[in-house]
Amino acid sequence: MDSVLKIEGMRKSLGKSLLYTLPMFLITFMFMTGGKPNFADPVSALAMLTAFLLVNILYFLMHYTGKTDRYRAVLFIIFALSLSYTLIHNMVEVRKSMTFSQADILECRIPFCHLVIPMMILPAAFTKSIIFPGSIISGFANISSMVVLWLVATIVLGRGFCSWGCFYGGWDDGFSRIKKRPVIKKISELWKWMPFAVLIMVMLTAALSMMPTYCSWICPFKAVTEFEQVTSVESATKAGIFLSLFGGLVVVLPVMTRKRTQCSFLCPLGAINSLSNKITPFTVKIDKGSCNECFKCVEVCPLYALTPEDIKAGKVSLFCSKCGKCVDACSKKAIHYGIRGIPAGTMKNFSRNLFLFVSFLFMAIFSAGSIINTLQGLLKLIF
Amino acid sequence: MKKVKIIAGISWAFLCLILIIILFPGLNSFSLSVSKLPFMKLNPRYTGGEIANQVISKSCTLDIRKPVFNGFLKERNSGFVQLDWHGTIPDIIKDSIDYDYDGKKDFYVLIDRKNSKTVLEPIDRKVKDVLISTPTSYGWAIRVGLIK
Ligand code: SF4
Ligand code: SF4
Ligand code: SF4
Repeated sequence: MDSVLKIEGMRKSLGKSLLYTLPMFLITFMFMTGGKPNFADPVSALAMLTAFLLVNILYFLMHYTGKTDRYRAVLFIIFALSLSYTLIHNMVEVRKSMTFSQADILECRIPFCHLVIPMMILPAAFTKSIIFPGSIISGFANISSMVVLWLVATIVLGRGFCSWGCFYGGWDDGFSRIKKRPVIKKISELWKWMPFAVLIMVMLTAALSMMPTYCSWICPFKAVTEFEQVTSVESATKAGIFLSLFGGLVVVLPVMTRKRTQCSFLCPLGAINSLSNKITPFTVKIDKGSCNECFKCVEVCPLYALTPEDIKAGKVSLFCSKCGKCVDACSKKAIHYGIRGIPAGTMKNFSRNLFLFVSFLFMAIFSAGSIINTLQGLLKLIF
Repeated sequence: MKKVKIIAGISWAFLCLILIIILFPGLNSFSLSVSKLPFMKLNPRYTGGEIANQVISKSCTLDIRKPVFNGFLKERNSGFVQLDWHGTIPDIIKDSIDYDYDGKKDFYVLIDRKNSKTVLEPIDRKVKDVLISTPTSYGWAIRVGLIK
């Protein structure tokens, strides 16, 4: 009986779940409508209402079912798809193509994304300047606002940014869920240190060349956002690299391994986010007293953040993105959301409620604009 | 000690909650403050450098920018100078440029805008080749490679 109560512990009654959803409901309503919903344009109103209901139903279900990852992933994947749609739609509308031209670079009109941040650090420190052809403060995806969003999210969520904030992560998260069972079961654990090697390499090469080298040569997500016009052997090589890395690390390997291989083995910002796990108040904890060492959590973790040794030591590694997959999978509820300073196994509900509110609120508001925009686009196709 | 740790952890968590709640309404003002930090300016390799001289003719203006040799820890041996034409630009641009203001022409440039052809004739040995020649929203721009 006691163990049943423990397992059921994260679920809430209908009334309690509604009560917990109320603050999210009110805050997302204020953000999405500015306090005054506008019904003048029915398509925009319907898109806004759908997005609003989507986020609130997902948040309600997290409380009502006690499951986290399943509902988080729905919004996270929709965020990735809708952001790509929004970017591509903007590009095609403004420039009639998914590629950017030399004039866009020369006139510093390239939208900034957080993956550039690791490469900005050394030039900013030593030359007091930014090495990116974007806008510092004005326009869509300007450098200052993207830096603020990432910085606050990474301080608050640590690597939780990689499961609750990054508009790229949903791609490999989505593909990693396609197959029920992995075809490739074992990949050397050593590969998970690769992002740190990539981080050092891109920081140094970017500083020496004064160019965001990861964006110019490696980033797999160029395949679903924007890339340089193919006008030379060099630009054709780059396009080939982007597409191969996207195909290999974001599509094929996640499908075969059920792991987020791009985020685990390549992304240099993921490495920085892992380090910020050291300062965030929100953690995932293991209550060794309840754990029966079944290692189900190790098996399901999409980011290679858990090993049997970690479980035995009662510690989750710094690669954890707080996605909640292990928490949902653990039949003993031994692995759970926690807050720094609070001993494992205690105040589980309080810690989960607080973490869910903070992380989901960030994702809901950050994603709202692109989801509404995508829904508008889809609705316009229908009506 | 245990209690202090718990209180510190919970306080930090609530502070983060407040941070997230104020993040989006305050985004514009936070971004504005960040944009004023000393390092938040684009490197001349991206802006093309400051405008050093303007040559105004009947219908169009030519901006000659300061040569850019910026490197990471020190200046590089190779760089570029950017020229921007704006206004009503002729289909064929022909100009001779003194980019370092030593009173001597450094190169001739001929741009056939209709056929997107650019011909550079270096006069000074420090002038190398055309790195970029492209139509822009304001007219036309080129970057000419230089060595020191
Ligand atoms: S590892 Fe990189 S791409 Fe993946 S979610 Fe994190 S920041 Fe985004
Ligand atoms: S799934 Fe739960 S019980 Fe099993 S090893 Fe992980 S923490 Fe322990
Ligand atoms: S340890 Fe758990 S919460 Fe962390 S990344 Fe792995 S599955 Fe997600």
